[in-house]
Amino acid sequence: MTLHLSIMLWLPLAFGVLGLLAPRWAGRAAVLGTLLTLAYAITYVVDFDAAEGALQYVTDETWIAELGISYKLGIDGLNLFLVLLAAILWFASTLWALRQEWERPGLFYFHMALAQTSVLGALLAQDLALFVVFFDLMLVPFFFLTGQWGGADRVRATTTLVIYTLVGSLLMLTAAIATGVLTAQRTGDELTFDLEALAAAPLAEGTQAWIFLFFAAAFLVKMPAFPLHGWMPDGYRNMPIPVLAVFSGVLSKVAAYGFLRVCLPVFPDASEQFQTLLLLIALASILYGSAMAFTTTQTRLILGYSSVAQLGFITLGIFALNERGAQGAVLQAFNHGLVVAPAFFIVALVAARAGGSEDLRDMGGIGMRAPLLATLFLIVAFATLAMPGSSNFAGEFLILLGVFDTKVVIAIVAFSGVVLASVYALRLFIGAMHNRAGPQVLSAEIATRDALVLVPLVLAIVALALYPQLALTRSEETVGEKVRPAAVIAGQAPAPAPLGTGYAPLPPPEAPGP
Amino acid sequence: MGSVELFGWLTLLAPLAGAIVVGLSGRRLPGRGAGWVATGALALSFASAIGALFALQDLGHEERHVVAVAWDYAVTAGVDAQISLLIDPLSVFMILVVTGVSTLIHLYSISYLDSDRGYVRYFAFLNFFVFSMLLLVLAGNFLLLIVGWAFVGAASYMLISFWFRRTTATNAGIKAFVINVLGDVGLVLGTYFIFRGTGSLDFLTTFERVGEAFSTNDGDLVAGCILLLVGAFAKSAQIPLHTWLPDAMEGPTPVSALIHAATMVTAGVYLIARMHPLFEQAPAAADVGAVIGCLTLVVAGTIGLAVTDLKRVIAYSTMSQIGYMIMAVSAGAYAAGLFHLMTHAFFKALLFMAAGSVIAAMAGRQSLEHMGGFRRSMPFTYGCFIVGGLALAGVPPFSGFFSKDEILLYVGDRGGWFWILYVAGYFGSFLTAVYTFRMIFRAFWGDPVPEARALEQGHLFHADEHTNPATGEVEDTDVGFPGPEHHIAERALPMRLAMGTLALLAIGGGLLQVPEVTHVVDSFLEPTFADSALYERELDGGLTVFGLILGAVVGVAGIAVAYLIWVRNPQIAVRARERLAGAHALFVNKWYFDELIGAVVVRPAQWFGSFAQQTFERVVVNGVLVGGTTGVVRAGSSAVRAAQTGFLRYYAALIVLGMVVIAFYFLLVS
Repeated sequence: MTLHLSIMLWLPLAFGVLGLLAPRWAGRAAVLGTLLTLAYAITYVVDFDAAEGALQYVTDETWIAELGISYKLGIDGLNLFLVLLAAILWFASTLWALRQEWERPGLFYFHMALAQTSVLGALLAQDLALFVVFFDLMLVPFFFLTGQWGGADRVRATTTLVIYTLVGSLLMLTAAIATGVLTAQRTGDELTFDLEALAAAPLAEGTQAWIFLFFAAAFLVKMPAFPLHGWMPDGYRNMPIPVLAVFSGVLSKVAAYGFLRVCLPVFPDASEQFQTLLLLIALASILYGSAMAFTTTQTRLILGYSSVAQLGFITLGIFALNERGAQGAVLQAFNHGLVVAPAFFIVALVAARAGGSEDLRDMGGIGMRAPLLATLFLIVAFATLAMPGSSNFAGEFLILLGVFDTKVVIAIVAFSGVVLASVYALRLFIGAMHNRAGPQVLSAEIATRDALVLVPLVLAIVALALYPQLALTRSEETVGEKVRPAAVIAGQAPAPAPLGTGYAPLPPPEAPGP
Repeated sequence: MGSVELFGWLTLLAPLAGAIVVGLSGRRLPGRGAGWVATGALALSFASAIGALFALQDLGHEERHVVAVAWDYAVTAGVDAQISLLIDPLSVFMILVVTGVSTLIHLYSISYLDSDRGYVRYFAFLNFFVFSMLLLVLAGNFLLLIVGWAFVGAASYMLISFWFRRTTATNAGIKAFVINVLGDVGLVLGTYFIFRGTGSLDFLTTFERVGEAFSTNDGDLVAGCILLLVGAFAKSAQIPLHTWLPDAMEGPTPVSALIHAATMVTAGVYLIARMHPLFEQAPAAADVGAVIGCLTLVVAGTIGLAVTDLKRVIAYSTMSQIGYMIMAVSAGAYAAGLFHLMTHAFFKALLFMAAGSVIAAMAGRQSLEHMGGFRRSMPFTYGCFIVGGLALAGVPPFSGFFSKDEILLYVGDRGGWFWILYVAGYFGSFLTAVYTFRMIFRAFWGDPVPEARALEQGHLFHADEHTNPATGEVEDTDVGFPGPEHHIAERALPMRLAMGTLALLAIGGGLLQVPEVTHVVDSFLEPTFADSALYERELDGGLTVFGLILGAVVGVAGIAVAYLIWVRNPQIAVRARERLAGAHALFVNKWYFDELIGAVVVRPAQWFGSFAQQTFERVVVNGVLVGGTTGVVRAGSSAVRAAQTGFLRYYAALIVLGMVVIAFYFLLVS
């Protein structure tokens, strides 16, 4: 297997096109394509050199020379585990999609594949223009997937989704072009969108400010963050479950990733300038998302709003502007994706046992004849509420510690989100599985083919819970490097005289005294 | 790996292995197989704990703190969280108590639960609980402590809601879980404050650095310690975070014995003892702990006088006894507090087991109002109840007498305002004797109720239809509700075996530490507390003798009063209730703590939720933001309606095309 990023990037799409040509085999082709992608992603995780902070496996070709746009891909500590996450979730979701017959299956799986390729592209891109292209491209298949295969209210959902993301995309496009052009003007060099080059020559503070806000708006819409989440309820209610699993699991993380890849290194002054604003938005997302999650009775929306809250935590970690917070955020981005996708699958299974209703009020007692399903659900619920012992807790611990180091009050208020999470996660679990059976409820154990998707996902959650260090080690160098410019400005790290880690090394554990 | 480490890991992992084996094997194990496998795992764990004890004693006095590291857990950015155990006299003491009592309770459960359709799940959960508890007491750093802390809360939740189709049980479960999460949050925040000063999560490193990092009563340290106390209060059911414990009695009775009496609820006591170098550096925080412990022991005692649910009476007595322990370890009486933790584990587990036997005879009903006269029909259970009751009431020479005496002696010896705690402690001791024997007299004395009569004639009473004792709802006996059969100690050998062993321990356990005679617990724990200024205090000899006499008198007097009120002249109770209607209402309503928390925490949160749901989301997010943006875009698009075919995909394609055009436009302009 040659470790060439372009192969992994275009593999899913290639199989998607195959499926388009032979619709009857589309599902199986898609499974094979996502499986091969997953194999690639795992190979990268194994082969990755954790001691190296810089990009690895770089592909760098000039694409549009006149505009200074290059086709530059690379993997480092920031995107390694997000690539793995995308590979895992697309494989799982494609398997899940096989449970049902889709109208025009060739087209359906083609769009799923296109979505994966564009998401991988956005994650791998090391050129700002390329990033923007993939970032916008990844929405297109989701418009179709929602609009054509979605639920009853799909037209309205798609319209809102299109409009919201369109506004965000346009802002980002403008900001990206401005960044490249203005940087070129400032340095007098040729036009380039290479992210490393842009980070090496930061813009003037005032310019950084408005460009940063444009990017931030685009990312916050995508997450979504309060109060820009208006598209989320309709969108989540109407997406088919396998589509929703990857959408909620991966796309929101691409937005968080954008902050770390683009905003912090390229606009360090603006990141520091708007730190409090972003922290407050994150805090509002946590509180508002949690409050909505424990009042709504729509199971999908409980997960949707809980994602708003969880993404709030991730944003909080990023804008702690120190290594701890950012490390926690990177870990948490992976964790949340890994947990929310099986949660949506479980919600689908539970709804099927409650006479098709996804309303919590119609459920209850489903755990009676389904001990395995109940166990899987319970583990996922505990991970969702970031119970200590889960990897989600390790992420949250680092995030809140990072915030605690810089803004104590915000950290303390954010802890109320931790308590509220336990309320909404258990309310979902108990409401569905426990208490007396709802009127239409027929409790039945999870079917083997469903278990084949869910059990490995849950085992992955458990494995990571035992060893979050797996991810932390690999992201540490890069995260430290990406955060440092902003951290130095915010006074969260020493000025970069020698190239250190930004933190004093721990003294070796001394022999315990009496 | 040295033998201490090996035994430590074995103790910890045996119950986890048991939980996995039992859980995966499901119903394939024949008959009571699951119960025996789980009990065997615990017995192995207990044996390993004894192995750890001997291995540790082989080490020199100065070397009795072994850290066993397995792997890095979250080592990054200056955070040093590893999977590490700390094995020292304190943790070995705890694992001995936990595994010992747990083994007996598993044994008891083999019979008690055997008609329940959730038998396998029960033992998997129970084993998982013990694993969590062992993780809590063996953890070698703050992060792992928090993990054990939360796992214990989760296991407790799963067992409280064991009969998960009962709404009362699931409500009690979520309440316990959320309050425990509140405690977790306190623990995490407290850890942050301490970590800020010491820069390490490892216990021994933290303790080593605490002297340099913080001055006495340093603001950060006091804040950190008080937050640790919040964690301790939530887990140990201290005021005002105690309201989950009485509700937790919804779980099966052996669960109450194990989790809500002998082990989990003592975690707060362990925490304070473990953190003693921090608390001694922050005496202000330690004083808070002592006062809250004292308040809890009195308040819980008064409630114990008024409630009529058999298990809840014992639950309040647990709260009260843990108040003693918290007061003790906060005041620096570490050995005394831990000694009481041990004796309490014996006699309280015994009392719960005996109560379980009574409840089985009552076909699941728990109210004292319907009980009476079980003395003759259940002699073994009655005997156990008496032994447990005497130990709880602190009558010499039962175990509770010596341990409680030692706590109060130490507190009194601290002098100053600690005298208030000393007096309150004896008052609580009097209340304890009264409510304990009120319970015993009402359940076992007087005229036999129909259930007791049936039992005397050799029939175990079975109700025609099964109901939830709290609400009267009719239930079946399938998964998620209690099983059809009941088991009383008189007829089940494993139950008798477990109760008999505990009864012997409840009688004789106190001999480990008789004032001026034996000091087993004291000297065993000494290496852990070698750095403590408060540990080896010379106690006043006169106070020692006075305390012993006073303790005995108070205990006996309490029993006499209970006899007078509930046996000799029941009219007194009725009249007292009428005269002191206000006080009675206060006690029956548990000092209105549920209402207080409802008004201060729950209702504001619900209000915020429904405001967000019904007002903000609808008006601002959907109305203004979504409506506004779509409106603007619609207005714009009506201009180009001619180009629109109405199909969504063309619409989307147009957007992409539009973006590309705009992109080129910008590039050309620049």
